[in-house]
Amino acid sequence: MSVSVRGLFLTRGDFQLKIEGLEFPSGKLTSIVGPNGAGKTTLLMCLGGLLAVPRNRVFVQGRDIASLKDAERARLVASVPQEHNPTFNYSVLDFVVMGRAAHLPLFSLPSGEDVRAAEEALDFVRLRTFALRPYFELSSGERRLILIARALVQRADILLLDEPTTFLDPKHEMEIMELARRLAAERGQTVLLTLHNLDMAVKYSDSMVFMKGGGVFASGRPREVLSDDLLEAVYEVKMRIVDFDGRKLILR
Amino acid sequence: MGLAFALPVAVFIISLNIGSYPISPRTLIKVILSVFSPSSYPDVPAALRDIVFQIRLPRLLLAVAVGASLSVSGASLQALFKNPLVNEYILGISSGSAFGAAVSLVFLGKGFPPQVAAFVFGIAAVIAVLIIARSAGSHIVALLLTGIIVSAFFSALLALVEFFASPYALQALFYWLMGNLSLATWRDLALSVPLMAAGVILLVLLRWRLNVLSMSDQEAKALGVSVRREKVLVIVGCTLATASATAVTGIIGWIGLVVPHLVRMTAGVDNRRVVPLSASLGASFLLAADALTRSLASFEIPLGIFTSLIGIPFFLFLLKRSRRVWL
Amino acid sequence: MEDASSFVIRDDLGRDVAIPGRVERIVSLQPEASRILAALGCVDRLVGLDYFLAKYDHVFRLIVPGLKDIPVVAYEDASANLEAIIRLNPDVILASPSDPHVPDALQSKVGKPVVAVSSLGHFDKLLEEIRLIGRVVGRSSRAEELIVYFRETLDLLDKPLRGVSPADRPRAYLAFWSSLVRTPSSYDPVAAAGGRNVAERLAPVQKGSDTVVVSLERILDWNPDIILVHGNFAPPERAVTVDGVLGDTRLRSVKAVRDQRVFYTFGFWYWWDPAQVLVETLYLAKLFHPALFQGLDLEREGNRIYKKVYGIENGYSVLCRSIQCHEWLKN
Repeated sequence: MSVSVRGLFLTRGDFQLKIEGLEFPSGKLTSIVGPNGAGKTTLLMCLGGLLAVPRNRVFVQGRDIASLKDAERARLVASVPQEHNPTFNYSVLDFVVMGRAAHLPLFSLPSGEDVRAAEEALDFVRLRTFALRPYFELSSGERRLILIARALVQRADILLLDEPTTFLDPKHEMEIMELARRLAAERGQTVLLTLHNLDMAVKYSDSMVFMKGGGVFASGRPREVLSDDLLEAVYEVKMRIVDFDGRKLILR
Repeated sequence: MGLAFALPVAVFIISLNIGSYPISPRTLIKVILSVFSPSSYPDVPAALRDIVFQIRLPRLLLAVAVGASLSVSGASLQALFKNPLVNEYILGISSGSAFGAAVSLVFLGKGFPPQVAAFVFGIAAVIAVLIIARSAGSHIVALLLTGIIVSAFFSALLALVEFFASPYALQALFYWLMGNLSLATWRDLALSVPLMAAGVILLVLLRWRLNVLSMSDQEAKALGVSVRREKVLVIVGCTLATASATAVTGIIGWIGLVVPHLVRMTAGVDNRRVVPLSASLGASFLLAADALTRSLASFEIPLGIFTSLIGIPFFLFLLKRSRRVWL
Repeated sequence: MEDASSFVIRDDLGRDVAIPGRVERIVSLQPEASRILAALGCVDRLVGLDYFLAKYDHVFRLIVPGLKDIPVVAYEDASANLEAIIRLNPDVILASPSDPHVPDALQSKVGKPVVAVSSLGHFDKLLEEIRLIGRVVGRSSRAEELIVYFRETLDLLDKPLRGVSPADRPRAYLAFWSSLVRTPSSYDPVAAAGGRNVAERLAPVQKGSDTVVVSLERILDWNPDIILVHGNFAPPERAVTVDGVLGDTRLRSVKAVRDQRVFYTFGFWYWWDPAQVLVETLYLAKLFHPALFQGLDLEREGNRIYKKVYGIENGYSVLCRSIQCHEWLKN
């Protein structure tokens, strides 16, 4: 398994994360869903090494994340933040090249190879023509794609995305989800993302994790784990799952 | 990049010709050559040689070193703090150095050059900031706030020293505070230039890292950067460069703020270019400012005042023009 | 309320000030003026003082045994304690003309006449000051006595110097105020002692002072015969020293440095002490023209001057203990 959690108990202010055991299938797309305050982002940050966790709790590629140095870890796990508030107006290419930081020694400059990696990543997100555009000129959907491109050049097998579709219009929402799916399907990356949009989650995920109150309520393949009762228990709202055109839709 | 080298050299050569002792360019060349082969130029008076080699040359070299140091430090800290309004003194170096110079001039007297104490306390201020901010996780805001507090603390101490000092002993301090290159000696250069060079070289080596560090701390960490360690390295570089510059010349403001902005406006924000270009433009800028202070009036306007007079309106102009460099 | 014997004088800022007939209580914010009061024998009328004279003057505590008991009403930051001044109920306040707005402001706030005086480096202005203050305190005869004595002492120098041609009067550069590049544009003792101040035709940096800021190149251009370093500071406080100047590689081509003619002189110590400046002139005469003034015993003459001006014994010797001036001629 690419990513696994064992006995993770973390207190952050008033909030407590309690995860007995959880495994994320490698090479698959897993979405982590749940109501606000369930701990999705906290969990993701723990998995990405952005929150300090005790030893022997979180494992990526079989290695204890707490024992990894920053650069090592970044070569295994790439985290894409939800928001990015830039101060400086870098060009798209310069921005994406920053993802090579984990591969470059301290005093080195990116080489031609690094730049090519960045260009490839831009190809994958289909924004190669934007390479010389300044970041500020991009729409929020485009910015999200660039953030993902930057994470791709880290060459990490595990990709974590925190609410990548929030605030995006439907077209860009689908673009991102498509991209995530392609990453798992075509490149064999383990993609974990937190989502609010249940329909999207159901449509694209190979696996889903439902969180509530800091713990895992249920996890597994959508077909196996989804039920009206589950949704009501997690979200405290009556919902109905409906089959439509071969797809599952969730009605409130 | 060719311009980056050519500009300071050109300004340097022009500045070498400026001074209250009139020396024509032809004479100047004779003087320079006479050092290499004295026998070919026997009629060059010692006074001229001393003016060129003991007064003008050290002064200009110091201008180059200080201009580059302050500009590169300012540029680096602006990237690190993700704030274009930051300058190289933000972590308390100016207040610490001023206090050090005051203590030296007032209590240690003539035996002790104020440069040493100024340097020591400039560094001490930054160390204090780093240690105090560490307890708050060394976040950018913590560093900024601690910098302000430590600056204020040293300013208060400075006021105390001034209060207890005799008025005439204070005068040397006031001249120092106003910032000037006019009394630069080779000894000053020998002590300070290696330190400035060390700081600047460190920052130049880290220039691409600055791009990554200019992202939020969390993003930088996600990208695999050891944020705390690299932040400290950048701060060490800036502190070495700025403290050693300030110790020798006093407080020369606005260069570390204005020059990096000018560079970003013309060459973009990629620090791989901003850092070396800031060094070049900063050196040229200070050389030019120094040349102006020497030639505008019969007495010399203190350099720190001059850079403020130029820097402030320039900065306002920059604020209006550059909407696309930052948000 | 002015009584019948009040009169009007014009001070250094051109202000016409009405002085009461009887001046018994004086607050002096100007050390030079305070010293003149002492010379006029009126120091017992001094009820308020500035910090400089109270803390830093080398000799004043000798002149005024009760110095510690006189309240200090003006401070380092150039502020004055107005309430204290008002409470002291002075008849007249003596102030400095350096900041032209201050005397008027002071006068209107305190409601007492303020007279602004200083010498600004000129002998004739110093004597004018003595005369003016003498008039204010009603000691005009003593003032004239001092003025005559001053002129006579200068004449002692003037006579032998009459035969000296301008070329033989050494050109002196004065490095004052803890700086190599700050020099006074007017410093009469230099000319009176048979020398020439290289900076004398330069314009001061600001009105009300006579400080000029030059550059090192300027000094090399002037190539003075003698460099005089401000010596009124106690030795540990001197930022610029004779040894420092002699060892400075940038100045090594200057004639004064080559000939090792770099000396301390007294210089301003918040303008002048009338006795000290006389001694200084004698000292400079010995320095500039050693052959002419070989027989001049500086210590003896110095103590005599202090006795004549202030009525104290060994005034000059006390000064020497503070600033080591007896060592200056030992070269």
